[in-house]
Amino acid sequence: MKAFKTLLKTEISLSLRGMDMFIFAICMPIVVVVILGALFGNKPAFEGAEYTFLEQSFGAVSTIAICAGGVMGLPLVVSDYRSRKILKRFKVTPISPALILTVQVVIYTLYSIASLILVYMISALFFDYQLRGSWSQFLGAYLLVMLSMFSIGLLVGGLAPNTKIAGVAASLLYFPMLIFSGATLPYEIMPAGLQKAANMLPLTQGIKLLKAASLGLPIDSVFIPVVVMIIIAVICVTISLRFFKWE
Amino acid sequence: MKTAIEVKKLCKSYSNIKAAQNIDISICFGEVFGLLGANGAGKSTTVECILGTKKQDSGTVSILGMNPQQERKRLFEKVGVQFQEANYQDKIRVAELCKVTASLYRNAADYIGLLEQFGLSDKLKSPVSELSGGQKQRLFIVLSLIPNPEIVFLDELTTGLDARARRDVWRSLLDLKQKGLTILLTSHFMDEVEVLCDKIMILKKGEAIFYGTIQDAVAASPYEKLEEAYLWYTDEEEKEYESI
Repeated sequence: MKAFKTLLKTEISLSLRGMDMFIFAICMPIVVVVILGALFGNKPAFEGAEYTFLEQSFGAVSTIAICAGGVMGLPLVVSDYRSRKILKRFKVTPISPALILTVQVVIYTLYSIASLILVYMISALFFDYQLRGSWSQFLGAYLLVMLSMFSIGLLVGGLAPNTKIAGVAASLLYFPMLIFSGATLPYEIMPAGLQKAANMLPLTQGIKLLKAASLGLPIDSVFIPVVVMIIIAVICVTISLRFFKWE
Repeated sequence: MKTAIEVKKLCKSYSNIKAAQNIDISICFGEVFGLLGANGAGKSTTVECILGTKKQDSGTVSILGMNPQQERKRLFEKVGVQFQEANYQDKIRVAELCKVTASLYRNAADYIGLLEQFGLSDKLKSPVSELSGGQKQRLFIVLSLIPNPEIVFLDELTTGLDARARRDVWRSLLDLKQKGLTILLTSHFMDEVEVLCDKIMILKKGEAIFYGTIQDAVAASPYEKLEEAYLWYTDEEEKEYESI
């Protein structure tokens, strides 16, 4: 517990000194919500809709930080620590791989939660947003999205042989998901073909759950996305711990 | 005397290069053991196979009666390690690195005292990346001593240190030796080896060409100083070649 606390505190300071996650996970979602709010503000999402465009987008925007941390920050920090041989030094101490990875996951969880709170406050204060559905459903879905995104990130960071490959893999996961899952570009304005492709991304499924919870709409098929995301998480975490490489 | 480190018939090769061949080492508690040899002779490979950061092709290793591959967590409560390269997180400060290292052990030493002993107490707030080569070297010796170890591994411990700092490090290590610390070190400096080591092994192309005390090493050579004897051991083949 002492090791966890000390390592967490130090790694948070290091991450904040690095600035990139502050920009991608904290600033970027705020910028997106301000732009969406300023452009579409309280206009209805579509003609005759009972909710506003911003209300429709809230769930998606709240996942930008998860996406940045999970598939960009997490794999890069793990592979960076391996290539700098920091993990090699840890190997000759009593620390366990699970502790090292847990500390990083907790850091990105904190970024995501901070981002969710900020995005919510800005939406509520400046653009009259209110969560119409249930908070518990929304938070449950949010937790699920974190779980699956972070586990994918752990897998990439754990298995990538070097920082370069980890960087390429992270970009291949990050940009399509950020753009096509509805996190930045609203899913609703995509052509049908693109929507179908986007449905393959786990983040798209997560965002659908969030959107339904946020708007208070009935969710027709909760079961499948939930199960798929949990299975992804279990598989990825197991593989990344089982095949953890110190060097 | 009880053995702290026991290595038997250790072999390790990379593709075609034999980095370690049939290495046998036995180090008793309280002994300082020096692993010598030119760059590329197999010192680091041998050390890493002993520590378990590299997997040997064959042979057995036991430290404090434990297998470093299988009992890693229990073993490294009591073993400190300083690697040749200093590895640390980007932007981390001296105090942070020490605090994190101390937090990993059940009975960590007081790192403030150690930093003072190694002349780094004014560097607590400095980023590790801004330390000079010698300061980094001393910091990583401090880190290896934080676990209050029974055994410490020091890979090229005084490379990059100035004459004064070298003497200071020797004195600190001799103090620890008096208190019973077992040390395995690698070094290129024979003056240091003479001051610190009880036993040495000289490696050449992965093979042990001498194993014993410093007195034996000198006595078995035509020279009177360790440095000359060492060069004689490692150069033997070339000399024979020249005479033909």
